[in-house]
Amino acid sequence: MMASSYNAKDEDAVGSGGPGAVKSKKPDNTAFKQQRLPAWQPILTAGTVLPAFFMIGLIFIPIGIGLLVTSNNIKEFEIDYTGVDMFSPCFNCSQNYSWNSTSACTCSVPFTLDQPFESNVFMYYGLSNFYQNHRRYVKSRDDSQLNGDKSSLLNPSKECEPYRTSDKKSIAPCGAIANSLFNDTLELFYIHPNGSRITIHLVKTGIAWWTDKHVKFRNPGGNNNLSIVFQETSKPVNWHKAVYELDPSDPENNGFINEDFIVWMRTAALPTFRKLYRIIQKKKDNMTPTLPPGNYSLEVTYNYPVRSFDGRKRMILSTISWMGGKNPFLGIAYITVGSVCFFLGVVLLIIHHKYGNRNNNADIPN
Amino acid sequence: LKILLTPNVRGNGYFPLSVGQAHALEADMEREFLETACACRAVICCRVTPLQKALVVELVKQHKKAVTLAIGDGANDVSMIKTAHIGVGISGQEGIQAVLASDYSFSQFRFLQRLLLVHGRWSYLRMCRFLCYFFYKNFAFTMVHFWFGFFCGFSAQTVYDQYFITLYNIVYTSLPVLAMGIFDQDVPEQRSLEYPKLYEPGQLNLLFNKREFFICIAQGIYTSVVLFFIPYGVLSYATQSNGVPLADYQTFAVTTATALVIVVSVQIALDTGYWTAINHFFIWGSLGTYFTILFAMHSSILFNIFPKQFHFLGSAYNTLGQPVVWLTIALATVICIAPVLAFRFLKLDLKPQLSDTVRYTQLVLQKKRKPGGRAGRGVGGAGVASGSTLGRLGRGGSRRSGYAFAHQEGFGELITSGKNMRLSSLALATFASRHSGSWIDTLRRKKHANSTDKTR
Repeated sequence: MMASSYNAKDEDAVGSGGPGAVKSKKPDNTAFKQQRLPAWQPILTAGTVLPAFFMIGLIFIPIGIGLLVTSNNIKEFEIDYTGVDMFSPCFNCSQNYSWNSTSACTCSVPFTLDQPFESNVFMYYGLSNFYQNHRRYVKSRDDSQLNGDKSSLLNPSKECEPYRTSDKKSIAPCGAIANSLFNDTLELFYIHPNGSRITIHLVKTGIAWWTDKHVKFRNPGGNNNLSIVFQETSKPVNWHKAVYELDPSDPENNGFINEDFIVWMRTAALPTFRKLYRIIQKKKDNMTPTLPPGNYSLEVTYNYPVRSFDGRKRMILSTISWMGGKNPFLGIAYITVGSVCFFLGVVLLIIHHKYGNRNNNADIPN
Repeated sequence: LKILLTPNVRGNGYFPLSVGQAHALEADMEREFLETACACRAVICCRVTPLQKALVVELVKQHKKAVTLAIGDGANDVSMIKTAHIGVGISGQEGIQAVLASDYSFSQFRFLQRLLLVHGRWSYLRMCRFLCYFFYKNFAFTMVHFWFGFFCGFSAQTVYDQYFITLYNIVYTSLPVLAMGIFDQDVPEQRSLEYPKLYEPGQLNLLFNKREFFICIAQGIYTSVVLFFIPYGVLSYATQSNGVPLADYQTFAVTTATALVIVVSVQIALDTGYWTAINHFFIWGSLGTYFTILFAMHSSILFNIFPKQFHFLGSAYNTLGQPVVWLTIALATVICIAPVLAFRFLKLDLKPQLSDTVRYTQLVLQKKRKPGGRAGRGVGGAGVASGSTLGRLGRGGSRRSGYAFAHQEGFGELITSGKNMRLSSLALATFASRHSGSWIDTLRRKKHANSTDKTR
């Protein structure tokens, strides 16, 4: 970026003369070397900037309104079942937790839906104050082991420490992320007005990314019987069941390719997050809503302790649209930014009219 | 020591003519000499040795906050050239000694004007814009981690993919800023020569000083705030259209990284004032390269070879296929760029610098020139012609440039021989008080008067 030295010996040829011409040091007279390349030189004039601001305002405000309306039409319901409050149903379970308990503690949380939930309803579990984005936590996994690599199965990577081996056998799946797998079981029951409890059918597949389920996570090959494949490994320290017992009824959902496990292994970016748990399919006839308004009951098998780090557990039910779940932030942000841009355009127009230097070519001081 | 104060041609200032100035460089005299010299428009030092030349330059360098330039053509100018901040050598009559010792060299003295007014000015402009943008893009990139620290337990978890961090400065943002630093021009070269006043921002250090630096930094920090908190606000509760939440780390990383690359590309597009084909190629090419490499690294091919390195499998496809993500990126871009646009427009509108005015006029001229060929020029150029012709008048020799010393043996001989200065000291004193007229003409008249007196 330094100015190139201009070394022109144009009078040189005259002095030297003779048949052997002196090589001229004059630089080439090309557009590139003489910095004469054809170029577009934009200028910020009122004719370009002000319409740009108005256009941005006029585009963003309708988009924001559309997003806000769509978001408001999505129905969402959230219930915290940690059991912090002494009178909450799960209080006893949260207090009595111990790692060695064999009998599961269950609690039942009643709630009411005021509005019907149409079409597919998605059931999430949410955690708060759980830092899945901590650096040591994020790197504590072995992706080649999860991909079904045999050598990594028996010799996991060092990143998994201290959850790499237990009882002199390597842990499968190793690492802190796998070790902290969410293992509460949530079931939904609809309390019919006549008193009967109707189980709501929950679909447990189709909750993970396609690439995760079919490419990234693979069970180690060699045998269809997963207990034999995993026999030289031990289960993670904090799990009740081994990895091949996650879903024995469905071989496509057992072992490393269990979708709950895959969903958990996709670490969240923020300390308050939600993960997809189950899907409630819409009814065959499109007339009845999937979840009619009324009383419901959430049955929790309380396995996951969060009180020790002041975390919270929630269950969320939500419908979905083309832009996803309920997200008023985007709609409000678009409306705000659109109006600010429009307002800014108006202000700039006023300033330009009153004080602007419209006669730019009138006076050039010499 | 004799310092003759002689009125110069225009009568608005004095030239000191110091003869026998060896004493002027002694320690007790040097400040006085410097003060006197700086009060004058030009100083002529004749019969100086190379060491004295270097000492004079050194004197100015030490006591004045100015950048010094020395130009010379002979071996006796080498010490002066080396002492000054910028040394210019002229290759020609006296050999190439000066050329070898100099920073810049050319063959004719008159090219100094181009060196300063065109190339030096462009170089300063390019360097300042380059620096400002470089600090901005790196602050925008890095400070996102600072904000993320509050949400990841200060564990130094990176927001972006490791490979993005490696390639950001090398591949995704290096070529556009390089092109701007090489090709940028605010005003074409003819105008730079016509309006020497354009050189002033360089002398006054206006384009990159502490204030400008802090503005760049502040802009970078503001961009990083937007680039983190907009995805944070949107993606915390966002889900894909199939219900899967978008709040996972890899989606967040891809969204923030894409938003960052797009925002800094739009910013360099705003900063570049001179779009050659190379600039276009570099800017759009860098964006295209980013998306190509992104999809390549998140593909299953690389994952199958190195599962632990390329564990972002499927992220690009899943993330960038969601309309919510693109809406987020568009929102972040507008929030980052709109204030910059508004500021720059206001500055141009309310307080245009000379370069802005010249540039605007130039473009108006070009537009008028285009439809009517040469015919339009006379009409459209009328308003500007006065300015440019006036400028052209002065083209033969820039009256305001501060040339340094040139040793020309011939004139030194003339002056010291006293052939044109056979006058009494009384006459000298009267000259000192005179303000108008050409002093050489006056001398000649006096001499003629004397000789006619003598012949009488």
